[in-house]
Amino acid sequence: MALDLFRPLKNLYKIVKQNGGVTGSLYKLFRQDELKWGELVGEDKFGNKYYKNDYYFYGRNRWVEYNDKVWLDYDGSQVCPEWYGWLHYKTDYLPHEDPGRPVYPWMQAHTQNLSGTRQQYIPYTTTKPKIEAWVPPSKK
Amino acid sequence: MLRLPFSRGLPCVRVVWSAAVRGTASNPAPEKIEVFVDDKSVLVDPGTTVLQAAAMVGVEIPRFCYHERLSVAGNCRMCLVEVEKSPKPVAACAMPVMKGWRIKTNSEMTRRAREGVMEFLLVNHPLDCPICDQGGECDLQDQSMAFGSDRSRFTDIHHSGKRAVEDKDIGPLVKTIMTRCIHCTRCIRFASEVAGVDDLGTTGRGSDMQVGTYIEKMFLSELSGNIIDLCPVGALTSKPYSFTARPWETRKTESIDVLDAVGSNIIVSTRTGEVLRILPRLNEDINEEWLADKARFAYDGLKRQRLMTPMMRNKDGELVVVDWEDALIATASALSHAQPDEIAGIAGGLVDAEALVALKDLLNRLGSENLVTETIFPMEGSGTDFRTNYLANSTIAGIEEADLVLLVGTNPRFEAPLYNSRIRKSYLHNEQNVALLGPKINLTYDYEHLGDSASDLKKLVDGSHPFSAKLKAAKRPLIVLGSQQLARSDGAAILSHVQQLAKKLSSSAEPDWKILNVLHSNASQVAALDLGYKAGTAEIRQKPLKVVYLLGADEGTISPNDLASGGVVIYQGHHGDVGASMADIVLPGAAYTEKQGTYVNTEGRAQQTLVAVTPPGLAREDWKIIRALSELAGYKLPYDTLFEIRDRLDDIAPHLTRHGEVEEASFLDQSVELSKNIASSFDSSPIDVKQKHLEDFFMTDAISRASPTMAKCVQAVLKQKQSKYYEGEV
Amino acid sequence: MQSSLRKVFRTFVCPTRGFKSSPASCHDSLFVHRDSKEDNLDVNFEFTPENRKRADAIISIYPEGHQRAAVIPLLDLAQRQYGWLPISAMHHVADLLNMPKMRVYEVATFYTMFIRKPIGKFHVQVCTTTPCWLRGSDEIVDCIRKKIGADVGGTSKDGLFTLSEVECLGACVNAPMVQINDDYYEDLTVQDTEEILDDLKNGKKPRAGPRSGRYAAEPAGGLTSLTGEPTGPGFKVRPDL
Repeated sequence: MALDLFRPLKNLYKIVKQNGGVTGSLYKLFRQDELKWGELVGEDKFGNKYYKNDYYFYGRNRWVEYNDKVWLDYDGSQVCPEWYGWLHYKTDYLPHEDPGRPVYPWMQAHTQNLSGTRQQYIPYTTTKPKIEAWVPPSKK
Repeated sequence: MLRLPFSRGLPCVRVVWSAAVRGTASNPAPEKIEVFVDDKSVLVDPGTTVLQAAAMVGVEIPRFCYHERLSVAGNCRMCLVEVEKSPKPVAACAMPVMKGWRIKTNSEMTRRAREGVMEFLLVNHPLDCPICDQGGECDLQDQSMAFGSDRSRFTDIHHSGKRAVEDKDIGPLVKTIMTRCIHCTRCIRFASEVAGVDDLGTTGRGSDMQVGTYIEKMFLSELSGNIIDLCPVGALTSKPYSFTARPWETRKTESIDVLDAVGSNIIVSTRTGEVLRILPRLNEDINEEWLADKARFAYDGLKRQRLMTPMMRNKDGELVVVDWEDALIATASALSHAQPDEIAGIAGGLVDAEALVALKDLLNRLGSENLVTETIFPMEGSGTDFRTNYLANSTIAGIEEADLVLLVGTNPRFEAPLYNSRIRKSYLHNEQNVALLGPKINLTYDYEHLGDSASDLKKLVDGSHPFSAKLKAAKRPLIVLGSQQLARSDGAAILSHVQQLAKKLSSSAEPDWKILNVLHSNASQVAALDLGYKAGTAEIRQKPLKVVYLLGADEGTISPNDLASGGVVIYQGHHGDVGASMADIVLPGAAYTEKQGTYVNTEGRAQQTLVAVTPPGLAREDWKIIRALSELAGYKLPYDTLFEIRDRLDDIAPHLTRHGEVEEASFLDQSVELSKNIASSFDSSPIDVKQKHLEDFFMTDAISRASPTMAKCVQAVLKQKQSKYYEGEV
Repeated sequence: MQSSLRKVFRTFVCPTRGFKSSPASCHDSLFVHRDSKEDNLDVNFEFTPENRKRADAIISIYPEGHQRAAVIPLLDLAQRQYGWLPISAMHHVADLLNMPKMRVYEVATFYTMFIRKPIGKFHVQVCTTTPCWLRGSDEIVDCIRKKIGADVGGTSKDGLFTLSEVECLGACVNAPMVQINDDYYEDLTVQDTEEILDDLKNGKKPRAGPRSGRYAAEPAGGLTSLTGEPTGPGFKVRPDL
């Protein structure tokens, strides 16, 4: 195969096209610091889109584009457990193709890591404080 | 009474005491005799016991029942040693040495005797060391390791009968597990000799002997905690401390007790920033090795009702938590907006000298001279200008030298229990006589009651009282004036009369013998007076006050109503008590276990507390708060470290930095001259004391009022008083 | 037999590990005070006027400052007056001698002859130490037990007799013997014992001392030595001296 001198340009064209033109590409570049083209393999219930392109080398050939709604507050823990395995190469099955994935009624909905937010879990002590502070007598 | 047979039964003790204490022995010192302990020669006085002689050459003989401060019982037999040419081992604690004796503390016979005694003790001792609170500081554990046999002959695996003894309920402070008792009778001897409460004893005999009260009765004593220290095994342990910690886990800090004016030396045991218990520390001049119950058990008050954050009153009149910055700025602006004479500082009873001097310097720089202590002392005559007026000049150890003690309007048993135990000790061993002017109370020793009106004092001064002859005959008389009497409206007259009486007696007493003693009721009063604080709030209450700075003042001697409208009350202290409740700004300070502070006890001895734990929450050391405040108020105090503020203390009163030493004072003549002009009209009201009964003893200050243990003690005493077996002792 | 059965039971029926408890070894009297119907502070005790006189006489024996040494005779006096020593009697003695009550309790619990619980009118103390036991004290105990209908340590229903077993009372030559209150009854047979108890029950006072016809502790079969007249001075002395 002859060396395709125009391949980078072709790829650039594909990328720009797939990502919604020049403005769309700049938007994505700002948000994700990277532009790729690839096949959309699925979307989870949180609106995150999963892409695959084996043109990129292993490790970079599966990726997620987070829901636009979260803007810059995306976080790895927003990937739901169904997609987690595929995204991290634990399996090559996509969630809907996976035969061995059980679904039980008691399974909880996935939540992202809430650390640093108002909903974060704060452990509290169950022992009495060593020193009890004085509570001023209330006038009421 | 105990007095006569006890002193007779202890010839050696009397010899030692009279030689050590009296100093001026009239009869010539008896010739010393030579004995040999493990072939080391030692010269001892006749009457010295084998055990004491061995101690002189540094040989320690194991013992359980023997205790230096108690009479000799000789019933544990642990101190058996071999004496050459004696067919059987002798009990070292009870046997006086004879000339030329060769004592062998390390021979085969001694070793076997110790092993045998230890074996017998362990036959009936439960092996519950893992759940015993004494574990790790148990004489029986230590001595069985050191002197016991390395193997057991105890083959009674069927448990056909280790002795089991019913536990006794002797109050909320001392927990008893009587099965562990080895019958050393130390607690019994302490109760009857030192505490003066004959409630403990042995009942039954042989293997059925048990130590207890026979009837169900609380051990009604203000010194009851000491039997915990005395108990060589885990039979008597501390109830509040039970199952809390092992001795090797705790950090020990040497400190000073501030809950009375005696300044007992203590050890504060802490772990993970928490005070776990308080133990006495040996100081022959102050507390010997005893400690009063309040000092020992009120430590849980340090964990309740604490001020941990600065607080300010909001516009609804509620105290709300604020930052240090806000509180200090508000305080500084209140101070700088008031006229100098509208500012006053009032010091309470638990404040260290560093905080006192910082507050005084700050207010002086602001131009105010209104610095007072809560406790009243008459300012007429020479007032507090001469230290001799307000000190226990004879010192606490000096009580033992006195031959007559006149107590005026004080109940030392509850105001300063260790002061009282000294008097009792001298009463028992030194033939001291005691007389009391005031209400009839139980002092644990006999005294002559001279009446309870102030006019009796007048009679004593002019010599018309029947007791005057005895006073005059005394060579080393001692007058102890309770500080409460000085708060009476005729306090000045009482003080002046006592001074005159002291002056009068000094002519018939030994030269250089100090007579006048004032027994204070709180730990900070002497230091405050030394630093130039005036005593009593009556004078400043007359002024149009705008800002009152309460430095740990919790007695409620001033109220917001005494201030002009718009006045600000600032409270700095460690407990939410009376002072904090009425304050507009609350600055959290440190309690005595949390700061390195100087305190001066009633005899004028400066001592320092050390930091055992850090102040809780945002609380800070008191003098540092005032130092920070001074900067915001625009009058920066020139000290940043403890050493610098101690230098400042040194400038004002050098004795405040000479820790551990008594600074004597001797201007009695001059103060008597100055007090002659005081109007000597007495109140008709009888001389009374606040703390008459044991239940009045436990809760007297911010710390002990916050202590649940002390509250339990009060309840237990009141309950005991309902019992049919209560006989009106305390 | 029983214990081996128990062992079998333990091994097969309940093989779980149980915890062992030791048998309580108790003294027959308690060394702490418990308020009871008969013995509490509301029980009034005071010396009768003549006993009060006796008490004063006893106290006066002791030198000044050592009056508390009279505690044993006074407790004994109180016990004789009341039959036994209730706590109020101890308190009365303590008040009389002006000594701490605990010190009186100590004395009263130390001596076994101070009895701190209600007791029958006649305290029958049977010696069961070796000489008396060899001479048949077991039969005497059995006889008394049947006669009064109470076991050792118990009191008969009519409240007359309390039986206790005691150690040697020092009358071994006249074994077996019992002590009833202050009197020794010696050289007893079962018949003698029954007779004594019957007499006491009927209000008669049996004669104390040996029952075998002996006067005291002389040999039962008559003297075997020192039977002749005592010899005068100069017996078997050389005539020339």
